[in-house]
Amino acid sequence: MQPSEGLMEVSVIGGYLGAGKTTLVNHILRQASERVAVMVNDFGEINIDQSLIDSRSDNTISLTNGCICCSLVDGFVSALESVTSFRPKPTRLVIEASGVADPGAVAAYGHGPGLALDAVVVVTDAFRLCEQIADPLIGQTVVSQIGAADVIVLNKIDLADNLTAAKTELAKLNPDALLAYASHAEVNLDLFFGREVVRTSDPTSHVGKFESRTHESSQPIPRAALEALVENLPPEIQRVKGIVRLAEAPHVAMVFQLVGRNWELRALADRNNSPDGNRLVVIGPKGSVPMEWDNALNSGK
Amino acid sequence: MGDASVKIFTAKKIITMNPALPFAQAIAVRGDRILGVGTVEDLAQWGDHELSEQFKDHILMPGFVEAHTHVMAGAVWEFPYVGFYDRADPAGRTWLGCQTIASVVDRLAECERDLNDPDQTLVAWGLDPIFLKGERLVAKHLDQISTTRPIFVFHASGHLATVNSEMMRRSGIDRHTPTPGVAKDADGEPNGELQEPAAMSLAQDGFAAIGVAMMSPNAKWNYAREARNCGVTTIADLGTTRLAMDGQLEAWRQATDDPSYPARVVVAVGHSDFGSENKDSNPMVSLAVRLRDEEETAKLRFGIVKLVLDGSIQGFTARISWPHYVNPPPGHPGNGLWLIPPEQLADIVSSYHEAGLTVHCHCNGDEAAQVFIDAVETALQRHPRWDHRHTVQHCQLTTTAQYKKMAALGMNANIFSNHIFHWGDQHASITVGEERAARMDACATAQREGVKFSVHSDAPITPMGHLHTAWCAVNRLTASGRVLGPEERISVAKALEACTLGAAHQLRLDHDIGSLEAGKLADFAVLEKDPFEVSPEELKDIPVWGTVVGGTPHVAGST
Ligand SMILES: [Zn+2]
Ligand SMILES: [Zn+2]
Ligand SMILES: [Zn+2]
Repeated sequence: MQPSEGLMEVSVIGGYLGAGKTTLVNHILRQASERVAVMVNDFGEINIDQSLIDSRSDNTISLTNGCICCSLVDGFVSALESVTSFRPKPTRLVIEASGVADPGAVAAYGHGPGLALDAVVVVTDAFRLCEQIADPLIGQTVVSQIGAADVIVLNKIDLADNLTAAKTELAKLNPDALLAYASHAEVNLDLFFGREVVRTSDPTSHVGKFESRTHESSQPIPRAALEALVENLPPEIQRVKGIVRLAEAPHVAMVFQLVGRNWELRALADRNNSPDGNRLVVIGPKGSVPMEWDNALNSGK
Repeated sequence: MGDASVKIFTAKKIITMNPALPFAQAIAVRGDRILGVGTVEDLAQWGDHELSEQFKDHILMPGFVEAHTHVMAGAVWEFPYVGFYDRADPAGRTWLGCQTIASVVDRLAECERDLNDPDQTLVAWGLDPIFLKGERLVAKHLDQISTTRPIFVFHASGHLATVNSEMMRRSGIDRHTPTPGVAKDADGEPNGELQEPAAMSLAQDGFAAIGVAMMSPNAKWNYAREARNCGVTTIADLGTTRLAMDGQLEAWRQATDDPSYPARVVVAVGHSDFGSENKDSNPMVSLAVRLRDEEETAKLRFGIVKLVLDGSIQGFTARISWPHYVNPPPGHPGNGLWLIPPEQLADIVSSYHEAGLTVHCHCNGDEAAQVFIDAVETALQRHPRWDHRHTVQHCQLTTTAQYKKMAALGMNANIFSNHIFHWGDQHASITVGEERAARMDACATAQREGVKFSVHSDAPITPMGHLHTAWCAVNRLTASGRVLGPEERISVAKALEACTLGAAHQLRLDHDIGSLEAGKLADFAVLEKDPFEVSPEELKDIPVWGTVVGGTPHVAGST
């Protein structure tokens, strides 16, 4: 189910120092089509663009493994409280955990008052991953972070000469996570925005085996064709989201959201910045996601 | 200071910690400083004076310097105590330990009756279920106290809390709450135990209470009163990021400027992750430098920066070298947690080091200590600097080779000796095993290898009390009564030096405090018995009359 009205969805961005977490946060801020609040370790590294960021907390936030006996939990909870009181209210909170933090522990805060945990995204450095996993000092930290991921972004693939080894390690350490490849942390946000629907019913375990596929086409689609497409979805598919242009109103980019059997279309808020064509991400258990949708999407031609 | 009159205190004995004149009978004070130490006849050369025989039956020694505590030690006393051991509060009243669930419930019921506002959350602290026999304290026990008032009980570990059903109802905690750490019974109903901060923070009114209390003036006063009650005249609040917050510096100034505030306080700037991925802009450096250069007063000192590198040994989160933990809980990953990426530490240390600050780094495990020692070496190679006094805090598993290296680099150690008594038995049986437990908190090794060191309580983690901490270092007795690692015991004289000059040195204050000699601040611990006369086992039981801070007496147990 979709979080009830008014809850802020929480995305946690984890990963070891240097993997590209901040780059991903910047990418999110550029790409997101909703009101996003961010909590990061270092605002100095964030490209603040007022059109994208609604608010920011001025508090210093240390998102690390602290606790009262080892280091006082200073500020984090109060910073969370102040974010949830921002008005107008952001619909999403992106939390960047520190480079050594267990993102799973940070994500535990994502069920707090006014919040609904979405996905834990762990960024890994394709170039250094194997070396990091083998490192006696940081290996366990990196392995634990990967284990906490719903979505793993294998970043810097442009720099790595041996992707196979990194992929093998990741498959071994967290076979259930969705794997996305990226350079400069440029990934499709639909891969991890709105993931809560595919969480298993046991909140302590991570997402079960699932997959997602992105379908793209260039021509506006008639509304009836879209409805037929939805009607014929396999029943296991619980989530589709993306942007479409209807043949009836081709100049308006619409946000399409499907949760369970309910779906809606609404105009994209930022008209100046709307992409051309249709792009839909379909998420469901492995093997259930239709391969050939692009033709159907293009049926309006 | 402006007062030019001379006051001479006589005492049964004065222990000076000044090797050139170890013992004396009288001490002269002008303003807040020591004019001289010796006999009344010697001191008469300073001219007209008032002779005080107030301490003629007491032992005076340099006020103890506790280089690792937290202001939270004062904040917790805003709330009733329900721990297992007896504990004295800042007003000197002893709270008897609650040794059964029934006595916890009775204590809380009594406190509940004292609250006027029926909506006010009852917050308590110190619960330690390990020691309570029989079933575990859960919400249904707390419901016996009230079903209409929220109740929140912090455990001694700081990692857990237990709340009543009304607190859960008001916080929306029920069988559907997905937050990890919300403990549930066999039927899937939450039982009231909230494990780790994310779960505890759901019961916001209770969880936030101690944080709010830490900011209050009363916490600052109770912190100093607790120090006074055990003979401590200088306390370090080791690490806060709150100094950057509006009003906190002013609040410290207001408290410590009051002539009746009974302690000097060193507030260490807590390193924050904030900005650390970009070392060119570490904003904590300029804050720490500004505080040190512009904001110091006689009773409020700065210049120390605190880093936290790993977790705790009893929590299995300290980074310890192979063979790691001997008996960790199921599912434990094998080693502890880093709180700072190890390869980043050299840059962070360098940023403070180059600004002339002294870095104190929490390292419980030896692997963490090694990373810090290496970081200091790198900082020194980049920027040679003499007498930096960078200090390994806790230093619990630091090895002989590491102490040697620390001595070579000019580093200090602050050793968590209280662990021997409080968790020594568990360290031998569960965490690190017999051999390494016997060399934990190795004061004798530090001494042998020539590392300047102190010992500490980390209050409120263990109760403040330097006679007790010195007793731990001297006797190494555990709670079960065994001697853990007899070879690491040190002499009473060395332990007292660690509690005075040793701590003053690592806080960069040994020119001002730590021994009694002309020119230093007139800070004394006033004891009822001579620590060199009682047996070493009785060190912790010496009654403390109170302190003298800057020439002003402060009697223990007063408010
Ligand atoms: Zn802890
Ligand atoms: Zn510590
Ligand atoms: Zn501490």
